[in-house]
Amino acid sequence: MGNIMEGFEFKQCISILKSTGKKAGNLNALRDCIAQVSDDCIFHHTYQYFLKEHILEYTNDFAHWAGESLEERSLAEQLSNIDPYEYDNIGDLRKELLSVIGNYIESFPEPREAMPRDEFFFNETITLIFPIGIRVKNLAEFLMAIKFVDVGSIYYHFYEARMRVGNGIDDFSKWIEESLQKKELAGRIRAIDPFMHNIEDIRRHITEQIEMELRRDIQVMGVEE
Amino acid sequence: MISQYAGISPKGDLQLLQRLTKVLGGRSFLHVNSTREGGGVAEILQRMVPILQGLGINARWEVINGDEQFFEMTKKVHNALQGNKETITDAMWQHHFEINRQNAANIDLDADAVIIHDPQPGPLVEFRKKGVWIWRCHIDISNPFKDVYKALGRYALQYDAIIFSVARFARAMNIDEFIIPPSIDPLSEKNRELSDDEINETAKRLGIPIDRPIILQVSRFDRFKDPLGVIKSYRMVKRYNDCILVLAGSPATDDPEGAAVLSEVKEFAANDPDIHILLLPPFSDRDINALQRMAFVVLQKSLKEGFGLTVAEAMWKGRPVIGGAVGGIPLQIVHGVTGFLVHSIEGTAFRIRQLLNAPEMAGGMGKRAREFVRKNFLITRQIRDYLSVWYIMENKGKSTIEF
Repeated sequence: MGNIMEGFEFKQCISILKSTGKKAGNLNALRDCIAQVSDDCIFHHTYQYFLKEHILEYTNDFAHWAGESLEERSLAEQLSNIDPYEYDNIGDLRKELLSVIGNYIESFPEPREAMPRDEFFFNETITLIFPIGIRVKNLAEFLMAIKFVDVGSIYYHFYEARMRVGNGIDDFSKWIEESLQKKELAGRIRAIDPFMHNIEDIRRHITEQIEMELRRDIQVMGVEE
Repeated sequence: MISQYAGISPKGDLQLLQRLTKVLGGRSFLHVNSTREGGGVAEILQRMVPILQGLGINARWEVINGDEQFFEMTKKVHNALQGNKETITDAMWQHHFEINRQNAANIDLDADAVIIHDPQPGPLVEFRKKGVWIWRCHIDISNPFKDVYKALGRYALQYDAIIFSVARFARAMNIDEFIIPPSIDPLSEKNRELSDDEINETAKRLGIPIDRPIILQVSRFDRFKDPLGVIKSYRMVKRYNDCILVLAGSPATDDPEGAAVLSEVKEFAANDPDIHILLLPPFSDRDINALQRMAFVVLQKSLKEGFGLTVAEAMWKGRPVIGGAVGGIPLQIVHGVTGFLVHSIEGTAFRIRQLLNAPEMAGGMGKRAREFVRKNFLITRQIRDYLSVWYIMENKGKSTIEF
């Protein structure tokens, strides 16, 4: 234990919803609005979809609306297949959304109107970030914390971090690699696909990986090399 | 007081509340509406203001006074904002302003943050002194009667921000618009835990048999709540499953149609001994709580709805709720996960039968429903959001705020 390890401070984010006042009643309007709205708005309807704990068939609000309100199932599937974590910035993600919707409109130019009051409403959020009073110094303490923190904390460190830290890196694996020097474990956590799980699944997968690592550490503890 | 919510409300909400009170503590926060009791706004303010005070915020709640003419006019404004065509003369608008001017002279409007609830006290913004002024619109104004909307807009645009309950209620305005859903208080008489003895005593007193599953709808006797549709659904179910139907509501003094609808419902029930129609006196909160807890399935088969907080109330008691897919109900019921959304009498009957025949599914759904309400619809979340909006308005231009 020669080197001094930096502890990990758990934080959490809570988002306050704002209306942009913009709405779309058909695919042409949806495309036009997506081209104009703020990055915060695109972020909310794609990345923050993962804050919803009951992910059913879709992976972002645009796909959900196309499927449920316009009953354009094929477009909904195509939009659902867009993994926001593949993009380095919102601009590229926006381009991909516009391209998928644009191609679909070219193939099926008859716009279907949503029922009144069932239009797509464009929102954005203001995010408040705060420490939750839990600072851990080692993997065992980390395991206890990850089991019991609110989902908002896991979202902040595992999902939101990818945009903040960049290169598809989350806060947890970054700390595990840099402070605990556990590169392999960091790699295994990084390999958990954020796109394919809801937050409780992510909690379960991380917990499994940490437990496996701790079990291994205990097995080798005290065994002379 | 806030410590009473520890272990009930999400921890993150309570922690953010503490952070916000560190920066806003000792400052003044004024709420103004037009009634001290009756209605959802008064109900939530009665609970919210003491909690804010307990957090160290200098919170006050003021109620404006008005005459009959004033409230007749504001009722028309309310209906017009929901889309009805109403005639409101210049003289009526003048009276609306005049009543507010008189109230402004009597109410201390000096506060760091002011939330004005609904259109009745809207013109008070003309008399603002300092601080952040927010208009809290509880009404669906997505499709308003234009003349009235325009007339009211001259006040609305003088505020710093507007808060709506649902994104769909908002519309394009050149002003910050926040979305904050309403909430229930888990510690109030209507929602607190009850003992089996308390529940059984209520059932006995109200003459409700508890030997068979109870299907319940709690609502005013109003055609938009579709009480006849509820009875039709029950009759479809009754052919297969023995059950009891309870329709419980309070007489609404501001609803002249209530008595007529009640007698229609009674006539339609045709003395079926298993249909219990209860006209509860106002403030029967504990009885409603007990009824929701003794029910096997709760219905909110509305055809038109504001937010429909009775849904969250029943969900909080771990009951599976079948609700009409209108107003704020789809925000509370995630179809197939925290309840069922329905669009017809037949759909309602089918879902009731499905739940009656699969108690395990009903139990799981009720459990998820309670958790969904815990995370999204408790009063601590709403207080957190109000204080957040106040703080955000004092730190404008940031999309992220770190404490």
